[in-house]
Amino acid sequence: MLTQLVFALVTFQQHSSTYKKTKRFFYHLLENSESRLKSRFDKAMIMSVLFSVFLFIDEVDTPASNFEKMFEHLLIALFILEYLLRAWLYNDVHHIILTHHAKSLYLNRPMQWGKVAKIIIAKKVEYMLTPLAIIDLLAILPSFRSLTLFRALLIFRLFKLFRYFKSLRLFAEIIETKRFELYTLTVFLGFLIFIGTVGIYLFEHAANGQEVRNLFDAVYWSIVTVTSVGYGDIAPQTTGGRLVAIGLILTGFGVLSFLISIIVSAVNDRMHELRESSIYAELKRYKSFVIICGFGRVGQHIAKQLEKHNQHFIIIDNNKINAINARRLGYLVIHADASKNEVLINAGIKQKASAVLCTTGDDVVNVYITLTSRYLNSSIRIISRANHPQNVKKLYQAGADNVIQPFEIAALVVAQYIGKPVAFEAILGVIREEKQFIMETLPVCSGSMIDGITIAELDFERRKLMLVGVVSANPTHRKHKNSYALKNQHFYFNPPPFFVLRTGDLLVVLGREIGIAYFREQLKNSRPKESKR
Amino acid sequence: MKRIAVFGYSIMSLEVIKQLNEEQYSYVFIVKNETEALLVAEQGFDTRIIDFRNDEAIKSVGIGENIDILFCFYPTDSDNVFLTISARSLDNELTIIAIVDDPESAEKLLAAGANKIIDPYEICGRKTHDMLAKPDITDILDNTVFGRHDLHIAQIEIPKNSSLEQTKTSALLLEGTYNLILIGVVDKVSDDNLHFVMDEKEHTLNIGDVLVVLGPASDIKAFKEEIEAVICI
Repeated sequence: MLTQLVFALVTFQQHSSTYKKTKRFFYHLLENSESRLKSRFDKAMIMSVLFSVFLFIDEVDTPASNFEKMFEHLLIALFILEYLLRAWLYNDVHHIILTHHAKSLYLNRPMQWGKVAKIIIAKKVEYMLTPLAIIDLLAILPSFRSLTLFRALLIFRLFKLFRYFKSLRLFAEIIETKRFELYTLTVFLGFLIFIGTVGIYLFEHAANGQEVRNLFDAVYWSIVTVTSVGYGDIAPQTTGGRLVAIGLILTGFGVLSFLISIIVSAVNDRMHELRESSIYAELKRYKSFVIICGFGRVGQHIAKQLEKHNQHFIIIDNNKINAINARRLGYLVIHADASKNEVLINAGIKQKASAVLCTTGDDVVNVYITLTSRYLNSSIRIISRANHPQNVKKLYQAGADNVIQPFEIAALVVAQYIGKPVAFEAILGVIREEKQFIMETLPVCSGSMIDGITIAELDFERRKLMLVGVVSANPTHRKHKNSYALKNQHFYFNPPPFFVLRTGDLLVVLGREIGIAYFREQLKNSRPKESKR
Repeated sequence: MKRIAVFGYSIMSLEVIKQLNEEQYSYVFIVKNETEALLVAEQGFDTRIIDFRNDEAIKSVGIGENIDILFCFYPTDSDNVFLTISARSLDNELTIIAIVDDPESAEKLLAAGANKIIDPYEICGRKTHDMLAKPDITDILDNTVFGRHDLHIAQIEIPKNSSLEQTKTSALLLEGTYNLILIGVVDKVSDDNLHFVMDEKEHTLNIGDVLVVLGPASDIKAFKEEIEAVICI
């Protein structure tokens, strides 16, 4: 009967979407460091812990008020709940049961419930013995006011902040990487204190019994001396005691220097990683951003343009000097090889990145980055630079949406400048929005006020706009002249007054920004509610 | 036909020539050695090997005489600055277009007398940004105005005795009559700036004003011919 009940419960956990959703919610709340929910929860917990500690300090002199008691009860309830939820999230009990059940069925033997229970308990105990779980438990204990000793454990409530402060956690991780060195240092320090304690006790206890009364005084003096603190409350009087003091002070300096160098080198080793993790955290805050691969001459100009237009971007460059230059300009930089899958994935190519720009001066590298980017994200926009005309086709084959040749574009500018400088500057100014007038595209949406009407009815002159043309894939427009083939559609230049606009068409208009924005708003408001959504 | 002197053999110089209409321009290519001369001559261009540091050698190419446009396309900025200064001292009316490698050299080239500075990397950077910011517009223009299709942007000057003199821009109606879109007018009398026609201020055309139009080559040609025909009358 009990077995059936357990199986029913386990099967429910395995298949229930509500159970999975609930567990996922608490995972995002408590464990997922990339979740905004956790970030908010951590902030709330930091405030609560600090407030509770202040209340404890206040209680030293004044009796606790009803509010303080209620707050403490609520906080402890929250701590206990958090502790239990973390234990629940640590592993899936039903997986252990189902795995053993499957094994039992396969081997055709009865289920070994005792063994299963042992594994489940061992897993949960494993969680309870993790440093942070111990701190969590110790943070709950000071609330049992009847146990005076537990009040000393109040300090563990402050340690609990380790859970919520990312930088504190990172520091703990850095220290963890130097465990061996720190262990060696601790053994050496212990040995030093032991020698100092014995030495000072032997020399001073007999001659200076008022200050070094017992072994504890000797230990206390050794620690104070070796750490270069030296309160001066106990001072050696004998020559032997003073020689011990000199020895301890000198070796103390060495130990201290060793400790500092260990921490500095650990931080230094992780600096690159720390910097990158702060960059990734920054990127997560953006709605979308552009990945620039290569910070050479072209990359620098692109970054300048993006910065000018307040668009977010991240630079990836393998060249140390380029990376330093970009960092000096205040840009987000990853000093790594952009052709590596991991680098692009970490940079967010599968998430919020809207485009990848391959701008290195080496076509081989550009082809490789393009191919990698396309493989990682089939829909992302990729613009690649080709330094030699023969590589343009290869870049398109690798998956680039657009290929740019610096010298071809520069040559076009020269050619246009010679024949018609004013006209060319005008059109460039319009594209770059440097003039008062801009060129924009406006879509014809189903059911909007312009859907199904003619160009003449629209009366662009009254709206102080100029219609340059219409982009459309609609075959009904084919009868019109001035049609220019684009990728999968046609551009109808200067469409006649009887040209009827259809859903999906794109108007190319020229006008003042304010005029275009007003017309766009009118179009949006004229659409049925459902299509607006 | 305008004559262009191209100093420096590079991808850039060949690309520019490819972009220009061969019926409107003739070229003389100035290279540094025999190897470059052979490569250029293979493509059918008039080629000379001269030392650009020597004024007499520059004059021998035609600068100060029959050269209208000078391309300074040497890879080193200092060479381009020296060539610009030398050419400007020989001909004040010469149109000098110089390529720049280090952005800091742009001002030096302008001070030396260049009319237009070309920084290929800067242009490439801007173009990439245009593609990102306005993909639809750049795609349309790249495929039509700057691309393989017969849609062009042109500037047409109002000649003397033109019937268009004293005509208001709103009365031109180029869209219906000539299949051209009038983008703006450069007012030569007042400020020499481009005024977009959608602006509220109506402009009256004068001799020397420049119309900036967009349209197929044949329609632009027809419009130009009609204006010229007016002169004959």
